[in-house]
Amino acid sequence: MSSQDKLQKAIKVIAQLSIDTASRTFSKLIKAGATIDLERAFIADISEVTRMFSGSEDEVVGAYVDLVGDAPFTFLFFVSAPDSLMLTDLMLRREVGTTKEFDLYAKSAVQEIGNVLASAIVNVFSRDFGIAMKPTPPAVCRDYIGTVFEEYIMKSAGELNELFVMESRFCVVQFDIKCHMFIVPLPGSDEVLQTVLESPNMKEYY
Amino acid sequence: MGRRIMIVDDAPIVRLMLKDILVYNGYEVVAECSNGAEAVQTYKELKPDLVTLDIIMPEKDGIEALSEILDFDGSAKVVMVTAVDQREALMKAIRLGATDYIVKPFESERVVSAIANALQ
Repeated sequence: MSSQDKLQKAIKVIAQLSIDTASRTFSKLIKAGATIDLERAFIADISEVTRMFSGSEDEVVGAYVDLVGDAPFTFLFFVSAPDSLMLTDLMLRREVGTTKEFDLYAKSAVQEIGNVLASAIVNVFSRDFGIAMKPTPPAVCRDYIGTVFEEYIMKSAGELNELFVMESRFCVVQFDIKCHMFIVPLPGSDEVLQTVLESPNMKEYY
Repeated sequence: MGRRIMIVDDAPIVRLMLKDILVYNGYEVVAECSNGAEAVQTYKELKPDLVTLDIIMPEKDGIEALSEILDFDGSAKVVMVTAVDQREALMKAIRLGATDYIVKPFESERVVSAIANALQ
């Protein structure tokens, strides 16, 4: 297996472990069953990634977190604006449909989901690979999906020509809520990811 | 009247979730703060029986706020709240004098247990 193949494999393993942990954490947070699927984990040209999301008129609410430390990553969680209201009710154990407008608590719900999921991923890095990281306080955004992606992912990518993108899709089973989560390694993380490749935990995945 | 609790977390929904649990279990929430600086100032004014204190917050984090609260009142009861299994930060908090900690997402029973134990 080439170094590039191994690196991609490392990314996918990290993504899957992150998703397993995130799934349990998310279910516990919203007190409802949720499944999370790793939709895609890939390396893509910046222009290709941009094309994937530009032009969409879907309005979403997102929580963006910088994961800083040994391996810098960008984390983005987003959900449609109507579904964010349902998530708010679930977290507050209210009857779904109670929250009718995107108020302080709805914004905070997305913020906190982003915070908790990003923290769960940090725990994976720390526990499974000994990589020390820390999430920054999340920023919340509400805009068209293309704008959100451009603003938070593409800007963090800086001068990179390519991005590793891990895209996950959540489904809160009972309520058909769909969310997305992106994890993007940033410049400075590839050396540490190479270390992950050498980790005993990784060898079982080759 | 129940024991007086101050809740510190930068997420309004977490403050509401904690408040709902505490009020339901007979505690009085006397203040809510959204950052460490506000927490220290409000503690000095109100001297609650216990503080729940988030670790990662903007402006002043929970560890720094904990240190200042304990400098002001060595007998302060503080339960740390964290979304990250930050063992170093938690150990530092315990060494500084925090009474206990809760990891998000939290269960009602764990919150009540931690608060009750801290107030004994």
